[in-house]
Amino acid sequence: MRCAPSRVRSQCGALGSGPGVCTGGNLPLLWVQPGESGGRREHRARGFALSVGVTRHALLAGWGRGSGCTATAAQRRRRLAGCRHQTTTPSMPWAEPGLRRKRRAAAPRRLVPRGFSMAAVFADLNVPGAPERKSLQSLLEAAAHLGYSTVAINHVIDFKEKKQEIVKPISPSELFPSLPIVQGKSKPIKIVTRLTLVVSDPSHCNVLRSTSTNIRLYDIIAVFPETEKLFHVACTNLDVDLICVNVTEKLPFYFRRSSVNMAIDRGVYFELLYTPAIKDSTMRRYTISNALSLMQICKGKNIIISSAAERPLELRGPYDVANLGLLFGLSESDAKAAISTNCRAVLLHGETRKTAFGVVYTKKTHRASEEEGVLPVRKKAKTEV
Amino acid sequence: MVRFKHRYLLCEIVSEDPRCRQCVDERAVGAAAKDAVARTHGDYGLACCSIAFTVKYLNAYTGIVLLRCRKDFYRLLCSALPFITYLENRNQRYSCFFNTLHVGGTIRTCQKFLVQYNRKQLLLLLHNCTSEEERQSIQKSLLSCCLKEVEEEQSQSGDEEDDTAETD
Repeated sequence: MRCAPSRVRSQCGALGSGPGVCTGGNLPLLWVQPGESGGRREHRARGFALSVGVTRHALLAGWGRGSGCTATAAQRRRRLAGCRHQTTTPSMPWAEPGLRRKRRAAAPRRLVPRGFSMAAVFADLNVPGAPERKSLQSLLEAAAHLGYSTVAINHVIDFKEKKQEIVKPISPSELFPSLPIVQGKSKPIKIVTRLTLVVSDPSHCNVLRSTSTNIRLYDIIAVFPETEKLFHVACTNLDVDLICVNVTEKLPFYFRRSSVNMAIDRGVYFELLYTPAIKDSTMRRYTISNALSLMQICKGKNIIISSAAERPLELRGPYDVANLGLLFGLSESDAKAAISTNCRAVLLHGETRKTAFGVVYTKKTHRASEEEGVLPVRKKAKTEV
Repeated sequence: MVRFKHRYLLCEIVSEDPRCRQCVDERAVGAAAKDAVARTHGDYGLACCSIAFTVKYLNAYTGIVLLRCRKDFYRLLCSALPFITYLENRNQRYSCFFNTLHVGGTIRTCQKFLVQYNRKQLLLLLHNCTSEEERQSIQKSLLSCCLKEVEEEQSQSGDEEDDTAETD
């Protein structure tokens, strides 16, 4: 029994038959046509889900729940009854392409973007670390009120100024004993640490290769290249998670497709800031022009948008930031991904650096002084970024 | 049926200044939104968005605003709202920003969303409140809005039971 691929991509869920994706709760659950052999049905269902737009993270997360258990009892009965009569035809009758479009239109239309109703975790990966605790606390409270689940506190190291040392990152649990709870969820906001290196000379990159400095303790490492050569080096060789794109002045160099494609293959993301655009009109023009030139080369992949908000009034909610992404030339789904799934991918990328590509995970536990040098080693399943 | 379709944007005005909430009114909010659209999208954007642009609902205590515009041009308005940085009222500026909560096609859907949102806000307030009397007043309001729902459900199920009893 073969279904044409176009037939598989039909309306999902409402008829209760055929392979479909149903968002039961937060994770997409799949059900498949009974009566097919195991491997082929999983392959087809996975392909169907990916064509519908379920992200790979969600697919991996929801697959374990098992197929075939999401439909209600009535739907299951109907499906089994249908299959008993039809032996050779698929349970979804073949429809002409024109009719198929009408049937899809009968599904309930949503005006709130669809991507936000599934596991919607928003992150703001650039919050400048102010020296005073109170301003940082108010920033965090504003971010939690707006709905951000993860915030990265940024320390900028500029090598042009006199020699600066890379300090150990302050652990967020020491700074803030009680973290505000994220609006709409019941967990407190999560804080990660981030380091940004402003490089204008190739010798500045040596700091990334040395293993003895405190760089290893940061969760995310970003680099801000100022020349074209450094941009190319950052895309191809450097061990970073983010490459910052300059938004405050006209780009001194053009992006090259080769470097950008290599960065996309490696899993390095490009970062755009939006706070300068809100503050000043000329910065807004530079931001939009730089963003559009980047967009033309990378076609909207591997982009994250973050604020560099110093005051809580400069933060914007995730829905507004996604609309800003539309202004920057992203498509709607890319703009939504730029603040949710891509940020999560950056966090995972940073984690793999700590854990040797996500295979081995070591954790230091405080033991008595007798067992000082022994660290327990735990194996962690390989996480796909 | 030919009718004009609109989009209703439900926004929340977030501000640090406590005086901002009391001095905000519909004209100031409308002027700020139009000004932002003009700055972002120019004369064309301003002309498109002001076809059926009104401020339908404004709650000064919670800072909730409901804006209306035509469905064809709502993207211009949506993308210009993050650029609002202050509200001006009687030559006094209050810095604030707009946080978009929901985009709906009718006022009723926005109202449904707003009711749920306010319930969640009440729960958050309950979590954060400090003094005892505040806590009790919030608990009373929470109970009243939740009990009302339960009462409605009970009355509905009571009607159904009556119907089934009659048919029996």
